Amino acid sequence: MSIVPKETIEVIAQSIGIPNLSPDVALALAPDVEYRLREITQEAIKCMRHSKRTVLTADDVDSALNLRNIEPIYGFASSDPLKFKRAIGHKDLFYLDDREVDFKEVIDAPLPKAPLDTAVVTHWLAIEGVQPAIPENPPIEAIVAPPDGKKMDHGKDDSLPIDLKLPIKHVLSRELQMYFDKIGELILGRADTPLFKDALLSLAKDSGLHPLVPYFSYFIADEVSRNLNNLPILFALMRVVKSLLSNPHIHIEPYLHQMMPSIITCLVAKRVGHQISDNHWAIRDFASKIVASICRRYGHVYHNLQSRLTKTLIHAFLDPSKALTQHYGAIQGLSALGPSVVRLLILPNLETYMQLLDPEMQLDKQKNELKRKEAWRVYGSLLLAGGSCLYDRLRLFPGLLSPPDILPWKTNKKIALTNLPNNKRKASSRLTAHQPPTKKLAVDPTGTNSQFPSTDGPVTSSSSGSNPNHHHSHNSSNNNSSSTGNITNANANINNVSGSGAHGQRVAVSNVLRQAWKEDLDAGHLLSSLHGLFGEGIFSFIQPAEMHCFI
Amino acid sequence: MEEEVEKAVFAYLRKKGFRLTEIALQEEQTRLSSDASSLSRSESDAAKYYDGYGKLRSWAYNSLDSYRHELLRVLYPVFIHCFMDLVAQGHMQEARTFFQTFREDHEMMHLRDLQTLEGILSPSHLEEMELARLWRQNKVKIRLCQYSYELLVQYLHKTQSLAMLGVINEHINFEVYPGQPASMSDDSEAVSLIGTSQDLAREINQKELHWGLLEDSVEERMEKTLSESDKTEVDGNKEADTEDNNKKKTDGNKHSTAVNNKKKKDKVVGATGKTIRSESSMVSVPPRVKPELTLPQFPPEVEQSILEDLRNRVQLNSLALPSVSFYTFLNTHNGLNCSTISHDGSLVAGGFSDSSVKIWDMAKIGQPGRASNPQGENGSMQGMHSLASDEAKRPYSLLQGHSGPVYSVSFSPFADFLLSSSSDNTIRLWSTRLNANLVSYKGHNFPVWDAQFSPMGHYFATASHDRTARLWSVERIQPLRVMAGHLSDVDCVQWHPNCNYIATGSSDKTVRLWDVQTGNCARLFIGHRSMVLSLAISPDGRFMASGDEDGTIMLWDLSTGRSVSPIIGHSSCVWTLAFSCEGTLLASGSADCMVKLWDITSSMKALKTDDSKSGPASRLRLLKALPTKSTPVYTLRFSRRNLLFAAGALSAGS
Repeated sequence: MSIVPKETIEVIAQSIGIPNLSPDVALALAPDVEYRLREITQEAIKCMRHSKRTVLTADDVDSALNLRNIEPIYGFASSDPLKFKRAIGHKDLFYLDDREVDFKEVIDAPLPKAPLDTAVVTHWLAIEGVQPAIPENPPIEAIVAPPDGKKMDHGKDDSLPIDLKLPIKHVLSRELQMYFDKIGELILGRADTPLFKDALLSLAKDSGLHPLVPYFSYFIADEVSRNLNNLPILFALMRVVKSLLSNPHIHIEPYLHQMMPSIITCLVAKRVGHQISDNHWAIRDFASKIVASICRRYGHVYHNLQSRLTKTLIHAFLDPSKALTQHYGAIQGLSALGPSVVRLLILPNLETYMQLLDPEMQLDKQKNELKRKEAWRVYGSLLLAGGSCLYDRLRLFPGLLSPPDILPWKTNKKIALTNLPNNKRKASSRLTAHQPPTKKLAVDPTGTNSQFPSTDGPVTSSSSGSNPNHHHSHNSSNNNSSSTGNITNANANINNVSGSGAHGQRVAVSNVLRQAWKEDLDAGHLLSSLHGLFGEGIFSFIQPAEMHCFI
Repeated sequence: MEEEVEKAVFAYLRKKGFRLTEIALQEEQTRLSSDASSLSRSESDAAKYYDGYGKLRSWAYNSLDSYRHELLRVLYPVFIHCFMDLVAQGHMQEARTFFQTFREDHEMMHLRDLQTLEGILSPSHLEEMELARLWRQNKVKIRLCQYSYELLVQYLHKTQSLAMLGVINEHINFEVYPGQPASMSDDSEAVSLIGTSQDLAREINQKELHWGLLEDSVEERMEKTLSESDKTEVDGNKEADTEDNNKKKTDGNKHSTAVNNKKKKDKVVGATGKTIRSESSMVSVPPRVKPELTLPQFPPEVEQSILEDLRNRVQLNSLALPSVSFYTFLNTHNGLNCSTISHDGSLVAGGFSDSSVKIWDMAKIGQPGRASNPQGENGSMQGMHSLASDEAKRPYSLLQGHSGPVYSVSFSPFADFLLSSSSDNTIRLWSTRLNANLVSYKGHNFPVWDAQFSPMGHYFATASHDRTARLWSVERIQPLRVMAGHLSDVDCVQWHPNCNYIATGSSDKTVRLWDVQTGNCARLFIGHRSMVLSLAISPDGRFMASGDEDGTIMLWDLSTGRSVSPIIGHSSCVWTLAFSCEGTLLASGSADCMVKLWDITSSMKALKTDDSKSGPASRLRLLKALPTKSTPVYTLRFSRRNLLFAAGALSAGS
């Protein structure tokens, strides 16, 4: 009936020396015991509340007993909540784990450390209603900032940069300073140690680093400009940037404008590291990825971020006086921004650019092997950019791939592409509309086509299927450039070159390029004209297996 | 035959509206019938209660939608009384099953009461337990609309469940009102569980309350000087007629009238204040009242510093939120019971369960190697600190004197004194300059839960487990007033800004307002569902906020005694509440490690617009929640410049 059964009363009675308590007495006592227990608990809870706690301790029960003028139960006092253990075999029976203590052990044991004395520390929980991201405050995510609050935040950042920075400068604690110094040291000296990896992890994860962000951004800008020749340091710096960007506790937006120039420098600088010995291509690739991720994440906050970036890059790309390495960086940066950027900015200029690039790639025209290598690199990146753009298109319009098994078709279309007037029409008409005309046109170019026997049926078909959409961008450049014959000549030229070049360079070029190259060779046979350039790209980007080696 | 007559009689009575007679007749009938069956009663009684309640319950739940919530109100008192009847008749086992079966219906509303009542295990407990006695001795009053009442009566007659009828007749008074059933939101007022207290509350709350601010306070004088200088300014350039100027001008008007009327009664002043308020839609000017206590005068240099603070005050509103400076107590080993912060934030004091009180001077923290006693008062030290070298090492001043856990500490307005209350039944006054105990006040018979200095200093109020609140002056060791009336522990106490009233929150789930002059209860606020832990009164003296154990924060209008808006503010105990200096924001600190800022002005505005009809309570708007890093918030305090100070002990567990 009650939570205190009469057996308990009997046991207690025995323990205090009343051997034969009559069952009636026990039965009568049991409810009263429960009532008293509840009463004491109620008082104990009051004491707990006034001690501003939410967990009941033995002290509270003692205080409650005191209140009722009952002698407290000694021996259980502890400032921590008691730890109960569940009795094995019983569902709701708990007991206090009370170990036997050997006096000798206690006496022999060294003195425990004196507990730390109470202290008071202060911090800003909020400044004008906004919680600063300092280690004393919980991580920002926990706050779940409402959208309007966030806006307010940004507004403040924009309007009162000085007011906001001043307290931060003063607040910078000794620990943070040490942290900053240590990171700086690691970047400049020991970027290859495992410690640096830990540091990067800490930069990417720890809250409370926000006060250091301005220092880091300054540091990075400074060191990038100073160490352009030192590739490892540049790499370390870029990795720091990446970590900082990925730290969820940092509001990095206000400092992006300081960081971007350094990253773009790494991307399109004329000379990064030692031109010959270092693999400066890698850092350009890395920087392009960072730039792209920044644009993706903060594009909506700084709406002119991407436009400014692309402007810078396209300038670098289109300026013939710039070095090929710069071109490479620009292409990488643009292509990292996504296929649509490639389609809008690179492809229209591709035609003219190829003319520029072409002589650089040829063994006979460019004697400097380094330059030639660079040219091939640029070519490879262009290929990649165009190909990924194409791949994206294909993915968007899967219908393009639908007629792979109708063999005669592919040839038709490919030829259609060579024919400029047709292209024009095709570009204006949509995919569904253009099919009959191409079919009609298919008649005369078959002859030309036969010169380049298609090795692989399906592949060509798919490539042709994808061509049309390529074309409208392509077209524009074609139209204003020159006459049909001219272009075909040029293209043939390129194709030839690429063929011969491939043979000459095969050993030298890097792995990725070689792979690309091989494909180009395969495809090269069938694509002699302008789209041959893409044809190879198309080829690689349509087969999923090969696609992987590019992306 | 007999039945028919009875029916006719009932019909007649109902037609004539002789409700009481009807009930009396019913009562008599049940008594007769119960007498008749008294022999067989004891056996089947328990089952009768069980069945009867079960049927009543299912009937109430299946009743018409619009009347259901009214009928459901009847269930809780019936449930409690059935249970008690069963206990009283000795059917312990049945009482238990009955209680357990139906308990969850009422858990949401009355969890605390249920937990207490659950402990009733024998008839003697009914006598002993206060809550049970209250239930048994008082009738419950329930407001029902006409039709709900008829439905209920019809049901009881139809089913002939005498047990239920008996319980209802014996313990429930119905207050039947004509028309449609009231909306759900009035629930709290419709059922007054302890019959008399609601009446009492209504009666008490009829009293007149001078909630206005003190006349001739420093603030008032400041505003006056401002408005005077302002007037000339305003004459010069009317272009710069911003809201601010507007406000000051109206203040100026108000003050001129206030000065004229100074000799007249307070009420008149209040009235003029009100008329002016209606003229100036923007600003509400609280009326001014005379102090009932002889209040001390501030020394001129103190007044100067207040004026300085007032001039530098930051205006806070829903858009301009305060800065919060948080004082974290480290290494308290679960020993910190309470804390307080001085008005300027320079001193922080903590009361510990090891009977000690510690004061930190924030200005000196961070200055390494400070002198042993910067005040150089070693000579006048009064024996509390035997080891001067020990003192030198500590960054705080240790005050020892209590012989039990210290449950509250409170600074005087200028932080020259500190009050501490303890479980050793005493309150001690400490000098922060001498770091020594000055007086020990004995009077309470049980632990003193709370002690608060008045806003003007000199007086202080205490709250104790002995169910009284007491008013003291620092220069007397006997209390000046004893405020008795709470039915359980008085857990917290707070001064009204005009020093004429003190508010107390209690474990009986009520908040009371006491007149310090007479010692009478001036207001009784019913509505909390658990122990009231914290109180704050707005600076204009009109509103009071109270926080309880469940995390609910209620806002009360002192003048009407009504609740403005109850909110579930926190998920755990609300330890502390504070109004900003203009009364625009309310800050609440809780055991769930949050400081929350609430918009008061919006809810006030809503209140003003429907002042007349007192529509459904508007809700407080949450402006900002500021989580701390596993630090429950013990104390909040707005400085005179509207900087918010908060304090709490870092809980090591998480």
